Amino acid sequence: MIEILESSPLNVNVFRRRALIVGLIALAVCGIGALINPGQFFRSYLLAYVFWIGISLGCLAILMVQHMSGGVWGLVSRRVLEAAAATFPLLAILFLPVAFGIRSIFVWAQPAASLASNEELAHAVQQKQLYLNVPFFLARAAFYFAVWIAVASTLNRWSRRQDRTGDRMLTSKLQGLSGPGLLLYGLTVTFSSIDWVMSLDPRWFSTIYGMLFMGGQGLSAMAFVIAVLAILSGDKPMSEVVRPAQFHDLGKLMLAFLMLWAYFAFSQYLIIWAGNLPEEIPWYTRRIQSSWKWVGLGLIVLHFMLPFVLLLSRELKRNRRSLTLLAGIVILMRFVDLMWMTGPEFHGGSFGVHWMDIVMPVGIGGIWLAFFATRLAERPLLPIRDPYIEDALTQAAD
Amino acid sequence: MSKEDVLKSNINSDLLRPVFKTGIGWYITVAISGSLLLAAMGAFGYQLYSGIGVWGLNRPVMWAFDITNFVFWIGISHAGTLISAILRVTGAEWRRPVTRCAEAITVFALMIGAMFPIVHLGRPYLFYWLAPYPNSRGLWPNYRSPLLWDFFAINTYLLGSLIYLYLPLIPDLALVRDKAKGLRHKIYSIASLGWRGTQVQWSRLEKAVGVMAVIIIPVAVSVHTIVSWDFAMTIRPMWHSTIFGPYFVAGAIFSGIAALIMAMAVIRKVFHLEAYLKPIHFNNLGLLLLTMSLLWFYFTFAEYLTSYYGNERVEKAVFQSKISGAYAPLFWAMVVCCFVIPMPILAIKKLRTISGTVAASALIVVGMWLERFLIIVPTLSQPALPFNWGSYRPTWVEITLTAGTFGYFVLLYAVFTKLFPIVAVWEFKEGLTLADHAGSVAEPQRLVAHGD
Repeated sequence: MIEILESSPLNVNVFRRRALIVGLIALAVCGIGALINPGQFFRSYLLAYVFWIGISLGCLAILMVQHMSGGVWGLVSRRVLEAAAATFPLLAILFLPVAFGIRSIFVWAQPAASLASNEELAHAVQQKQLYLNVPFFLARAAFYFAVWIAVASTLNRWSRRQDRTGDRMLTSKLQGLSGPGLLLYGLTVTFSSIDWVMSLDPRWFSTIYGMLFMGGQGLSAMAFVIAVLAILSGDKPMSEVVRPAQFHDLGKLMLAFLMLWAYFAFSQYLIIWAGNLPEEIPWYTRRIQSSWKWVGLGLIVLHFMLPFVLLLSRELKRNRRSLTLLAGIVILMRFVDLMWMTGPEFHGGSFGVHWMDIVMPVGIGGIWLAFFATRLAERPLLPIRDPYIEDALTQAAD
Repeated sequence: MSKEDVLKSNINSDLLRPVFKTGIGWYITVAISGSLLLAAMGAFGYQLYSGIGVWGLNRPVMWAFDITNFVFWIGISHAGTLISAILRVTGAEWRRPVTRCAEAITVFALMIGAMFPIVHLGRPYLFYWLAPYPNSRGLWPNYRSPLLWDFFAINTYLLGSLIYLYLPLIPDLALVRDKAKGLRHKIYSIASLGWRGTQVQWSRLEKAVGVMAVIIIPVAVSVHTIVSWDFAMTIRPMWHSTIFGPYFVAGAIFSGIAALIMAMAVIRKVFHLEAYLKPIHFNNLGLLLLTMSLLWFYFTFAEYLTSYYGNERVEKAVFQSKISGAYAPLFWAMVVCCFVIPMPILAIKKLRTISGTVAASALIVVGMWLERFLIIVPTLSQPALPFNWGSYRPTWVEITLTAGTFGYFVLLYAVFTKLFPIVAVWEFKEGLTLADHAGSVAEPQRLVAHGD
């Protein structure tokens, strides 16, 4: 079994070429869009970027969780998680357009004179200037990427060394890094979600915001892992290892993240709705008193209710095809959720979806997936020298 | 005989000894904790007679020690469910000697916590008006109030955790029944519900415990979330915070694990269960406690940082009073007790011993009580309009009531250990059998059936 895994590396050439071509075409089309409407280009870019980095960050977090918790599900999904976490250097480069377009994206980055018409907004921006200013914003972003690249590359490096040497000590080293790593993840995601999304409306704040993003990222990542494992397990050798029992476990974890996300999202809504304070409620009135409310209702039904009810079924979780279909819906709805969070800020509270909002994620996604596939194909699809792998394989074969 | 065989042959006598033999220490414990409880009952009687004015409460601080105790004890009650249910659901083998200690904490802490809103009522005997029942006075509870949700959530949780405590108790009750004589035999016969240890009974029990473990987790989370909404649904500064639900739940689990570690250490020492509650259990619970300590730190940080970022004037006043104002000594004591000292103790393997984890737990319990106090009182003493600001000092009545809760808890726990085996006998034996058969796929045999 292990020999097969070692000797048959994944062939991703065709996929990589296709993903790159699709991605580059989509980005080229958006490039034309940038000439027509540069402001919209940057705003659509932020949405697409936050979506894809969410998958990478979620995978990084789950990678550390599985190092700490152990379990067969972690062993079979570890390589997918590691490959997704290895995309941070690419994502750091892809962040550059956000930095360039900062004045088109964030109200607070515009010169004070342009805000003069809205006194209340100008006041809020002025009060938060100590935190919300361009140099500090960029310095913070640089710090987040330094942390994410350092943690992800160290985890990947040790795991690669274990592939070569089979050193058991590395397992406890990986575990030792994962604890503090998760704390760093929590702090950086909290700050980055405030920086990149919450500050779109500089007046509004919500203390649960970081948690809401973590829940969402975990959910995106679980759905992504399920989708990738479903494709990989279509062929030997992974079809021998990733069995219904593993999909069952992964499905349960996706359900857990789904419930967590819904819990956070509902907590935020209920408390702000009940408080009905002038400094908070506008964020929701923009979303429930315009046509955005249909998107919001769609989120309740398709982002929560439908996946929740379906994931309660044991049969569905054990069925590769139906679980993958559901994971696809979840990934799509994650994007819609982010659109619901950002869109009303960009369209002055009224409903609007630009064609670049749809094309841009395809563009970034194509490049991201090509990079991911390259990383995934570099090594065997399972951690073949992990001390627990033998047990896991026999367990999976049962 | 090897060491393990000696252990195996002694399981019944070791674990049932506290039930059948009563030492002098037990009477002393009951006397001390009972007198604390009596003192609290006296204070409560005095309060009923003179009115709630005998507490230090006054406008604007209308909630203080009592609601702190309410939130604190409901928090402690999260030890049982969250530890026992999560460990059961994830199939962690080391849980076996720990589960019952934890489940008992849940039930008793919940009973104590739920008392306080009633104690706080001007007319405690009318608390049943919360229940929506048809009545001629046209009373109908306000469904929009989280205080009413509390009533439903806590009762659901109490019922659920009683069932969850009772189900795994049945085989052990049968064990006591078979050893006991006379009246005791009769009582345990009724309590063990005709348990004979047949295959069908075992499989049903296992299924029922499994289902309850899954159900009780969302119930537990909902309870402390709703407790947090008592505060967050208002628009008071630093209460009206979206993170409150998970923040309270995390704090609850945190203090619950700390209470569990302390209870286990006492039981281990008093009943000489060194062979059952081993350093590994304290180590593992210590690691969970470490995780919760970091999580607690994250939540506190996120809550305070985002308030600071939000920069609301009324929030800032409360924020300042905690960080550097009148409440600063308590605030920093809380940070030291919940994070600064326990974190290194729990993180360094050499210090994560039994005495290390117990010391950390004691600090955490104190720190978490302070946390609940600091959530409640600074906000109330500084409402949005400054003309209304005030301060708060507890009176002897509140302090006695608070001390009484600890006495009551110890008393209930001591009585529980007298009536029921505090370490689940059958679960422990099942673990040993499973370990013997590790690797084989055969159906695990039971060491304990009818009378062993």
